[in-house]
Amino acid sequence: MIFAPSRRQILRTMGTGFGMAGLAGILSAQSDGTKALPGADAPMTPKAPHFKASAKHIIFLFLNGGPSQVDTFDPKPMLQKYTGQPIPSGNLKTERKTGNLLGSPFAFRRCGKSGIEVSEIFPKLGDSIDDVCVIRSMYTDIPNHEPSLFLMNCGHRVPGRPSMGSWLTYGLGSENQNLPGYVVLCPGYPIVGAQLWSSTFLPAIYQGTYIPNSEKTPDKLISYIRNPSTPLPEQRRALDLLRQLNLIEEQREGEDSQLESSIQAAEIAYRMQSEAPEVFDITKEPEAVRGRYGDHDFGRGCLMARRLVERGVRMVQVYYGNGQPWDNHDDILIHRKLAHDVDGPIAALLADLKASGLLKETLIVIGGEFGRTPVVEVSGLVKVQNGRDHNSHGFSTLLAGGGVKGGMTYGNTDEFGFKAVENPVHIHDLHATVLHALGMDHTKLTYRYSGRDFRLTDVSGNVVQDVLA
Amino acid sequence: MRQLAGSLVLLSAAAPALFGQAASGTVDADFFETKIRPLFAEKCYACHTDKRMGGLQLDSREHFLKGGKSGPIAVPGDPGASLLVKALRYDANPKMPPTGKLAAGQIAAVEAWVKAGAVWPNDEKAAVKPPPYRITAEQHAFWSFEPVKPVLPPDVQDTRWARTEIDHFIAAKLEARGLHPVRGASRHTLIRRASYDLTGLPPSAEEVDAFEHDRSPEAFAKVIDRLLASPRYGERWGRLWLDVARYSDDRLDSERDNPYPASFRYRDWVIQAIQNDMPYDVFVKAQIAGDRLPDHEKYEAGLGFYALSPEMQDDRVDATARGFLGLTVACAQCHDHKYDPIPTSDFYSLLGIFRNTELHEIALAPKEAVDAYKAQDALVHKKEKELKEYVGAQSAQLGLILASETARYLLASGQPSNHPSNEDGDPIAGPALDRETLARWTKYLAEPEKQHPFLKDWYAASTQDQRAKAAAEFQTQVLAVMTEKAHIDDENHVRLGLDPTREDLSNANLVSLDRAKFGLWEDLLGDHGVLHYGGTDKEETKIDRFLSGVWLDHLNRLRAQLAALKKELPPAYPVLQTITDKEKPEEQHIWIRGDQNNPGDLAPPHFLAILSRAGPEPFARGKERLELAEAIASPANPLTARVMVNRVWQQHFGYGLVRTPSNFGSQGDRPSHPELLDYLADRFVREGWSLKKLHREIMLTATYESSDESSDRNYAEDPDNRLLWRYNRRRLDAESLRDSILFVSGKLDLKAGGPAVRINGENNRRTVYAFISRRQLDPMLALFDFPNPNNTSEQRLQTTVPLQKLFFMNSPFVIDQSTALMARVAAIAWNDDERITATYRFVLQREPTPEERRLAHEFVAGNAGAWPEYGQVMLSSNEFTYIN
Repeated sequence: MIFAPSRRQILRTMGTGFGMAGLAGILSAQSDGTKALPGADAPMTPKAPHFKASAKHIIFLFLNGGPSQVDTFDPKPMLQKYTGQPIPSGNLKTERKTGNLLGSPFAFRRCGKSGIEVSEIFPKLGDSIDDVCVIRSMYTDIPNHEPSLFLMNCGHRVPGRPSMGSWLTYGLGSENQNLPGYVVLCPGYPIVGAQLWSSTFLPAIYQGTYIPNSEKTPDKLISYIRNPSTPLPEQRRALDLLRQLNLIEEQREGEDSQLESSIQAAEIAYRMQSEAPEVFDITKEPEAVRGRYGDHDFGRGCLMARRLVERGVRMVQVYYGNGQPWDNHDDILIHRKLAHDVDGPIAALLADLKASGLLKETLIVIGGEFGRTPVVEVSGLVKVQNGRDHNSHGFSTLLAGGGVKGGMTYGNTDEFGFKAVENPVHIHDLHATVLHALGMDHTKLTYRYSGRDFRLTDVSGNVVQDVLA
Repeated sequence: MRQLAGSLVLLSAAAPALFGQAASGTVDADFFETKIRPLFAEKCYACHTDKRMGGLQLDSREHFLKGGKSGPIAVPGDPGASLLVKALRYDANPKMPPTGKLAAGQIAAVEAWVKAGAVWPNDEKAAVKPPPYRITAEQHAFWSFEPVKPVLPPDVQDTRWARTEIDHFIAAKLEARGLHPVRGASRHTLIRRASYDLTGLPPSAEEVDAFEHDRSPEAFAKVIDRLLASPRYGERWGRLWLDVARYSDDRLDSERDNPYPASFRYRDWVIQAIQNDMPYDVFVKAQIAGDRLPDHEKYEAGLGFYALSPEMQDDRVDATARGFLGLTVACAQCHDHKYDPIPTSDFYSLLGIFRNTELHEIALAPKEAVDAYKAQDALVHKKEKELKEYVGAQSAQLGLILASETARYLLASGQPSNHPSNEDGDPIAGPALDRETLARWTKYLAEPEKQHPFLKDWYAASTQDQRAKAAAEFQTQVLAVMTEKAHIDDENHVRLGLDPTREDLSNANLVSLDRAKFGLWEDLLGDHGVLHYGGTDKEETKIDRFLSGVWLDHLNRLRAQLAALKKELPPAYPVLQTITDKEKPEEQHIWIRGDQNNPGDLAPPHFLAILSRAGPEPFARGKERLELAEAIASPANPLTARVMVNRVWQQHFGYGLVRTPSNFGSQGDRPSHPELLDYLADRFVREGWSLKKLHREIMLTATYESSDESSDRNYAEDPDNRLLWRYNRRRLDAESLRDSILFVSGKLDLKAGGPAVRINGENNRRTVYAFISRRQLDPMLALFDFPNPNNTSEQRLQTTVPLQKLFFMNSPFVIDQSTALMARVAAIAWNDDERITATYRFVLQREPTPEERRLAHEFVAGNAGAWPEYGQVMLSSNEFTYIN
């Protein structure tokens, strides 16, 4: 079953919102001066947004497993006061059986000029809090990892919908044609895995390029980026022959955008061989810089993310780790170690991007797929009762950089931090807001598939204007 | 029964004024909707809705007021006298819910609710019912719901070009727009196109030669018949169906690889069915109800369509409706379909059919063999359990013994390891300490960061006295924690009962040691604890050296017995993965807004309303799946044949006549040639639902034989080529690409069928036999647009991206196959010129042009090492990777 969209069809499937701006973007020359590729066949060419964007790039730092809001960015004095006692109204429904209130073992302190309270386990991020907007009223639909991971990444609780990065590169292309437009870094795989950065029914070029950043040899990070035996000059000669043969074929068969784009893609691939390994080679960074990011996977991932957006990559997602490390059902004290791993790198990333001016045009999103209960888990699936169950009713997500107000909190959970009660923000709303910051109207970024216009936010989503600068 | 006003006072005695809501003093009937109804839904509905346990239904006001067998369960205003409250408090029998007492807050909420009058607002149900769903005449008249009618081909002017009836339909549309079809394709192009279409492989150079020299009028028909008879045909077209069937060899398990035991039998059944031209109506019926057909042994494997589905019931409705009927019924899950005449009841009606099935394994071995295997397997499991329990008991006992010597181990741990006292006697009074255990203690104590505070005094001690005191106190603490842990385990055991499921565990309300004590327990007796010997699989024999006499003999006897039993275990018998009907079917309700806890009207199993002439008749009890299958595969069904001929057309031309092949609803595409679609559908059914006849009819046309050349005039009028004035050029799909590279390198392994194989290594099987993963699709397949097997797929995308080019430039696969290709060339060619010719004949099945020959000579001149790169260039060329 084969489908080769013509330029006309691509423009049609892109939906009404694209209009002439989209067409102009597609047909314009590339920023690096190489020849513009024709329409549908140059799907990664930078495209004009719907309106003026406040951010051009996005870095999504994904703390997979579900970080606890009441131990990190959502302090609750009532929770501390009534620790060990039941919630009078009864516990909200979560995945597993929960018991009484469990006060946070961590102290909070007022940080920055804004005085936002941040847990002691994030000392460096606390110092940078004036650059950050803390949304304390996030909520999602189901307190299970799989549906929540799908919802946060792809806007729908079951598999089959394109990921946010796929939508963004589909809508905006990318500024560097020698690198993938959407890069996903994870040591190992988050649960569910590659489905979380799949393009599903969008063209495959928009799927995330997965980089196992536990691998330290740059050449091994991208599949087939190096030829094991043929040196580059020899490969250049082969590529020249290929181009000549393809041109002969094109003369014989008549001009064709597919054949033309195939020739161009080979040229880009050739250039990628030089540029891509370089960007992942963090030994190119001064030792002092590497020191600030730390010698572990997440730190290296943040540093790679910085180098990628510096080169124009549209979206980088950095997962904290293999599996779901933040899923602390048994013992919330483990959050201390996890936070220690991410605190320094996040602060370093914010500081570096700020110093270079890139923070102004890079949106940083920090968070997990849901939060955790303020009550202790008492189910038979834990060995000891010092942890928290999944919580879909309320959690915190952090935004920073391009177009976002720093040093503010938005929304609130109830007295105990269980449920978002003031200005609740659904994941669809977060997506709408992220797209807005990147200059896209979430209701107009559509793709016609199987007779229906699909979008990241499905039929919902409201832009949270208050967090935008 | 009295009706209470909506506004109530929630008493703060029951609910301390911690919440703003409670503190403010008043709540209204919302309290019931937010606190009570969800609680009933979560905790009580499982037994107290349709099941009516104890005669009680808690799903409506009316039922609640009626109460259970012993009458009303609540006395408004008097919680103490209400059976409901007493049951929840566990004060009286029955204690409810039996799975575990509710949280104090939840009970308090119910008490407060009863106290305030037990207000149950009028249910939506009792309110005015929405008008019954009605399908309008206009909806009935939508093109795809109209019956398929036989159509006569239209008259055309250019009867020389339009030589078949299909051509007449095409030519008529072209002529109406004043367009002319382009010239016909060359024989070389035509046989290559046909070979890829029917087998997914290129022709050999010899086959091309034969076709080019065959001047008989039946030359192309002979080629088609040869290709249709080839086993490669079933592999190619079987795979087409597997896209629709979202076939996968594993489940989308979030934590680990979870392959199906026998998915390949469904894949092989599909391939064989297509190869043997099983009538499509039978093919459909087999997949829905193969177990209910005569000769069911021939068809049961088709049930893999559901047995291998992602484990979501709504996916089954979706794949059924889109796959067989081209309808998006799954859009009617939360509300009536917004665009098509599909009420929510249709969705739940189908859902109910699939929810009343369960996964089933059919043993493909004689009963005696199956019974023998199962019996032996049970013995193995029993013995394994026995062994594990014995080791566990000994290990626990040993832990206690060693723990009672904790103080002496602590004191000895400071001694140099070669100190004689460690072995046999002794400044540390008492019997000899165990050397390994002492070493473990020493290692453990060397790391002062602990997850408990109980060793603080020990680390702080500076004098011998302080050390002795701290060690003794620590030992007391250890023993106390172990005793407490034993009590807690007992208590939890009572709470959980025997063999709790994961669900039971998740819902259990257990007790535990506090965090610090647990840290201590885990350090000493957890799986990696200082005092832990045995129990875990890897350390199974660690316990041995502590045992002797009959204890050790018994252990060894258990092990020997287990080994003997395992040795006698025959190899696992083969199985077929199918579905079967549940013994006790449950009634399916509409779930209002898709919420399982919000049941609406019953949705008895029936066929889709729009496809039922006089309104949907309920299917016969026990025959639901069979009747569904027959309704779908009926010649009177306007969609089934249309949808399938359109899929076949799409595969031959790149696009269907309807370009949304799984959506024939109002939001789908309209057919470019509606009469042709009906003509094909009608012929398809009358010719016995034969796919092979359909291929032949489509391919032996001037339309199919057109070249792919462009024409400015046509392009200006119809740039998308909807009217088929030319053939659509296509990139090879993932399977054709890999198979073709292996084919021309001479390495393709044509072994058919059997378990799926990973294609990332040495394996050169056809790609249709590759392991298809929902969890992590093979990267090469993903790179070349293989469809996501988590959902039914209607068409392949076709992208051209740099990462694909890197695959051609640098992948070991392409490099290896290029080397193999050039070795194949070198074996028959004596000089550069012959090599170039041979390469062209293998890769492109033609002679090179003089210009191509010159370029090749230039490239390899004086550089024999360049031949493999030359092969790589040829394998990367557009001519090789596209079908013209």
